[in-house]
Amino acid sequence: MEDLLTVELSFSEYHLIFPRIVITILLILGAIIVFRYFYKRMKLGSSKKRDFSFFIATYDKTKLFGSAILLFLYPFMMERLGFLISTIGLMFFMTLLFIGKIKKTALFTSLTNALATTFVIWYVFGQLFDITLP
Amino acid sequence: MELIGVLSPMSILLCFLGVLIGIIFGSIPGMTATMAIAIFLPITYALDMIDSIGLLIGLYVGGISGGLVPAILLNIPGTPSSLCTTFDGYPMTQNGQGEKALKVGITASLIGGLLSLTILYFFAPLLASVAIDFSSVEKFLIIIFALTIIASISKGSLLVGIFSGILGVFVSLIGTFADNNEMRLIPPGLEEQLVYGFSLLPVLIGLFAIGQMLIEAEEGMKPATHQNIDLNKGEKSRFKFRVFKNQMVNLFRSSVLGTFIGILPGVGGSAASITAYSQAKSFSKKPSNFGKGEPEGLIASESANNGLTGGALIPLLSLGIPGDSTTAILIGAFLLQGIEVGPLFIPTNPDLWSGIVYALIIANIVMFAMMFFSIRYFAKIVYIPKYIIFPIIIVMCTVGSYAINNGVMFDVWTLLLFGLAGYIFMKIGIQIPPFLIGFILGAQCEKYFIDSLKGNGGDLTVFFTNGPVALVLWILIIGAFVYAILDNRSAKRNDARDAS
Repeated sequence: MEDLLTVELSFSEYHLIFPRIVITILLILGAIIVFRYFYKRMKLGSSKKRDFSFFIATYDKTKLFGSAILLFLYPFMMERLGFLISTIGLMFFMTLLFIGKIKKTALFTSLTNALATTFVIWYVFGQLFDITLP
Repeated sequence: MELIGVLSPMSILLCFLGVLIGIIFGSIPGMTATMAIAIFLPITYALDMIDSIGLLIGLYVGGISGGLVPAILLNIPGTPSSLCTTFDGYPMTQNGQGEKALKVGITASLIGGLLSLTILYFFAPLLASVAIDFSSVEKFLIIIFALTIIASISKGSLLVGIFSGILGVFVSLIGTFADNNEMRLIPPGLEEQLVYGFSLLPVLIGLFAIGQMLIEAEEGMKPATHQNIDLNKGEKSRFKFRVFKNQMVNLFRSSVLGTFIGILPGVGGSAASITAYSQAKSFSKKPSNFGKGEPEGLIASESANNGLTGGALIPLLSLGIPGDSTTAILIGAFLLQGIEVGPLFIPTNPDLWSGIVYALIIANIVMFAMMFFSIRYFAKIVYIPKYIIFPIIIVMCTVGSYAINNGVMFDVWTLLLFGLAGYIFMKIGIQIPPFLIGFILGAQCEKYFIDSLKGNGGDLTVFFTNGPVALVLWILIIGAFVYAILDNRSAKRNDARDAS
C-alpha cells in the first residue's frame, strides 16, 4: 500500500511524472467516453440512424472553405508581400466573400473596410504603440 | 489626488476606450466580453501594467454590460449572464418600452457593479492574507479547486467537459520543464519553436475568435434578425428614476447574490442572474407579472450579473484562480506583464491593486454615462454586419499573435492551428472554456505537484495530511464537484423536458 502512495522521484525524470499522470487520466476518460457512446448506440439499436454530422445541413461551402483558404494563405503572403499589401488583400477578399455577392456596393464596402482597417491597425499598432508588425 | 497618482491620464483614457469597445462587443450577438479581452490582449503588451489594466477592466465591465442590449431588443442574451434579462426586457420592448427597459437595466448594472466592487475591496485582501502562508500542497489543492470550474462550466456531458480540461492541461505541458530543464511532448522537428511550449495568447485568441469565425462562415454569416423596433411609445414608456422606488432591497439582494456567486469558481453569470431573478420573484408583491415585462425582474437580473464582475475578481486577485472564463483570460493578461496573481499579489503590488479598484469604479461610471445618454445609438450596434466585423478581428488577432514575442511567425501558425482546433472542438463536442482553463492552470498545477512531492519524499498522502487547510480545500473540491454533477443532471433533465 505504501508503494502505491509513494512516487519514485529521480531528478532526470521530474519532467515526465506529471505528463504520465495526465496521459493516464486522458486515456481512461477517453475510453469511458468511447464506451458510453457505443453502449448508447447499441441500446438504441441498429434502426437508429447516426445522428452526428460534422457540418450543419445548410452549410455554406464557399464561405467556410474560402475563409479557411484565405486564412492559411495570409501568413505566406505576409512573408512575401509585407503587412500592408497582404492585409489589404485579405480584408478585401474576406469581406467580399462574407457579403457573398459581387456587386458594385459589395466591392465598394469591401475596399473601404480593407483600406480603413489596414491603415488604422498599421497606424495604431505599428506607429502609435510601436508594436512589431509582420 | 490619489486617483491620478495611481492611474495615469492614459490609463483613464484607455478605460473609457475599453468600456466603449466592450459595450460594442457585448451588444453584438455572438461576441462576448471574453472575446473582446482576448482580442485586445496584444495591445496591452505595448502598454505598462496600469494602462493595460485600465483597458482590460473597461473591456470587462463594458462587455458584460453591453450584453443587455441584444437581450432586451432582440431576445438574444449578448452574454450568458444576460439570460434572465430577456425574460422581462424583451416583453417591455414588445410593449414599446425598449428605451425604458435599457435604462432600467443600465442603472441596475451600475448599482450592481459598484456594490460588488465594495465587497471586492474589503474581501479580497482578507482572503489573500489567509492564503499567504500556504505551502505548495495547499497551492496545488487551490489549483485543483480552481480546476473544478471545468466541471461546473461543462455544457452537456460532464465527462467530456473534464476530458476537455485535462486535454488543456496536457497541451500546457508541451515544452521544457523548468526544474530539470528537460523537454517533453514536443513533435519531432519543432524543438526550436516549442522549447517554451505554445504561447498563451495565440492559443487563446485562436480558440475563441478564429474558431468562432469559422463557425459563423459555415452558417453563412447570417445577419441578426432585423426588426422595426419602436424604442419609446408614448409618455408612459419614458424612463423615470421613480421606477427604482421600492426596489432598493431587490437591488441590494441581487447585487450581493451576484457577487457571492461570482466568488465561487465556475458557477457563472447565468446562475447569478437566475438565482437573483427567482429570489426577486419569490419576494415580489406581483410575481405573476414576471416574464411579462416587469422592471423588477430586469433589475434583479442586471444588478446580479454586474455584481458578478467584482465577485469573480475576488478569487482571481487573492488566490490566483479564475471565477469564470473571462477572468481566466485576465490571468493571461497578468502573465503577459510578468505578474503572477495569487496571495502575494495585493501586498506586493499595492499600486496595481488600487489601480484595479479605481479602474473598476471609473469603468462602471463611464459605462453608465455612455450607455444611459447614448443608448439610442448603442441600440443600433446590434445590426453591425458580421461581414465587416470578422475580417477586422482576423487581422487584429494575427497582428497580436505575431507581435506577442516580438515578431515570431510561428505564433501566427499557432493562432491558425488553434483556430482550426477550436472549430473542430466545437463540432465534436470538446468544450473550449474548460480546455482553456486547463491550459492556463496546467503548468502551475504541475509545478506545485512536483514541489509538494519533492518536499515530502514522493509521499502522495501529504495532500490529505498536511493540516486543516488542506482538509477544508478537499471539502470545497468535493462540494464543487458534487454541485457540478447535480447541476449537470438537472440541466439534462430540463433539456429532455424541453425536447419532449
